[in-house]
Amino acid sequence: MGGYGDVKLLRDDGKRLDGRTVDEMRPVSIEAGVLPAADGSAMVTHGLNVAVAAVYGPMEAHPRKIQRQDRAVIDVRYNMAPFSTGDRIRPGFNRRSREISKVTAEALESVVLVERYPRSKIRVEIEILAAEAGTRCVGITAAAVALADAGIPMRDMIVGVASGKIEDTVVLDLDKAEDNYGQADLPVGILPNTGEIAFLQMDGDLSIEEFNLAMEYNFKAASEIHVLMVDALKRRYERGDN
Amino acid sequence: MVELVPTLLRQELERLAADNQRIDGRGQWDSRNVSLEVDCLYNAEGSAKVVWGDTIIYAGVKFEIRTPWPDRPTQGSLMCGAELRPVAHRKYEPGPPSPQSIELGRVVDRGIRESGCIDMEKLCIVPGEKVWGVMIDIHVLSDGGNIFDAAGLAAIAALRTAVVPAERFDVGEDHRLLVNGSPIMASFTRAGGRFVYDPSEEEELGGDERIHITLGDEGHLHSLQKGLRGVFTPSEFAEILAVAEQKCTELREMVAEKEGN
Repeated sequence: MGGYGDVKLLRDDGKRLDGRTVDEMRPVSIEAGVLPAADGSAMVTHGLNVAVAAVYGPMEAHPRKIQRQDRAVIDVRYNMAPFSTGDRIRPGFNRRSREISKVTAEALESVVLVERYPRSKIRVEIEILAAEAGTRCVGITAAAVALADAGIPMRDMIVGVASGKIEDTVVLDLDKAEDNYGQADLPVGILPNTGEIAFLQMDGDLSIEEFNLAMEYNFKAASEIHVLMVDALKRRYERGDN
Repeated sequence: MVELVPTLLRQELERLAADNQRIDGRGQWDSRNVSLEVDCLYNAEGSAKVVWGDTIIYAGVKFEIRTPWPDRPTQGSLMCGAELRPVAHRKYEPGPPSPQSIELGRVVDRGIRESGCIDMEKLCIVPGEKVWGVMIDIHVLSDGGNIFDAAGLAAIAALRTAVVPAERFDVGEDHRLLVNGSPIMASFTRAGGRFVYDPSEEEELGGDERIHITLGDEGHLHSLQKGLRGVFTPSEFAEILAVAEQKCTELREMVAEKEGN
């Protein structure tokens, strides 16, 4: 987390700088089946974040050393477009994107019925086109919708959400200023039907009580986003072009 | 990934060409539907999304302040790069930039640069010390054929709607980037033995060489590129050049219309 203290993030009326209450998320919209070349795809806008996910496969797993005899491997690439941030990002993988790709793959492998496809690979490509804090969560949500759009069986959806702490107050869904100047960030991937957690990271400073409240907000947000995910998939099949 | 070129697809393209037909029902010089959206991404100083048939491409413009080259102390710089990321098609794999993505970026770059639409002198902030570097990044999200024309269109539309973020760098007020003209690309692929405009994915897969022509506002040529294996005659080129003139004019009007909004 960035600096503390100096930057005011809560207004006198207790609302946040963009007018949200502490447990209010930014507006979210989801569309499934947005990329014609992919087997499954989705676009999620979450506040000013824009994430696109594409799924290819199941396909032959190569190089062969990544093959697993008893299940499919999920090969995730999380990538930020060069123009997605304030300063241009040099194209290519960096340590941050490698780590996010790894933990995202492990989260998705926890919900996809990977044992149905031994020795194969499912490619998940997450592209962040615009970043305004919380891109890894938006990417996970997009990836889950894209996997469902590709017809890949899953035991549940997975929803990426985050809560955090600003000015000693727990808030849902940090925006850019809150992420930069806040005190904690707790991104999680929630299985909305089972209530399980498949993705968890955190940085900053939270008491146990604050953690519990942040998790409560995250579960609330996950069920709201889940409704939008299901709705996007339904619209996709009503449209019926693929 | 090595692409298989099915003999049956090649035969089908030849059969169709003999009847002056195309695989998706278009005429020889017909385009697929093109839609253009500008200023669509937060954080990019200029942005555009092009949906061209099944092809989807974003372009984003970013600025940086850099030291000018010693031999050109009053000139800024322009760079246009393209990424054919694995998101765009199952045939694209992760790794360092492929020759195809480098070719795409460079052909678009040449068309914009050589048209002179960006006056490098106007990108100077303090001679010998500070100049603007303009960077256009082309991000291919879905390759449904003819990514060159879609990339060229997205790049010039993003550039023409870009705002120089001078306030953020503390060097004056934000202002629209000055762009004099709209270089536009038109691409042709030999499919079934004859050239067609705006090749689809199947026509590229079962086709031969391709030719990319970038024309400026005055109808002058600014970049040409012949790609892949094959040869063509001067009279074939004259024919597609005439088609390119018309197509580029139509697309230039589309860019102008979006800018007005």
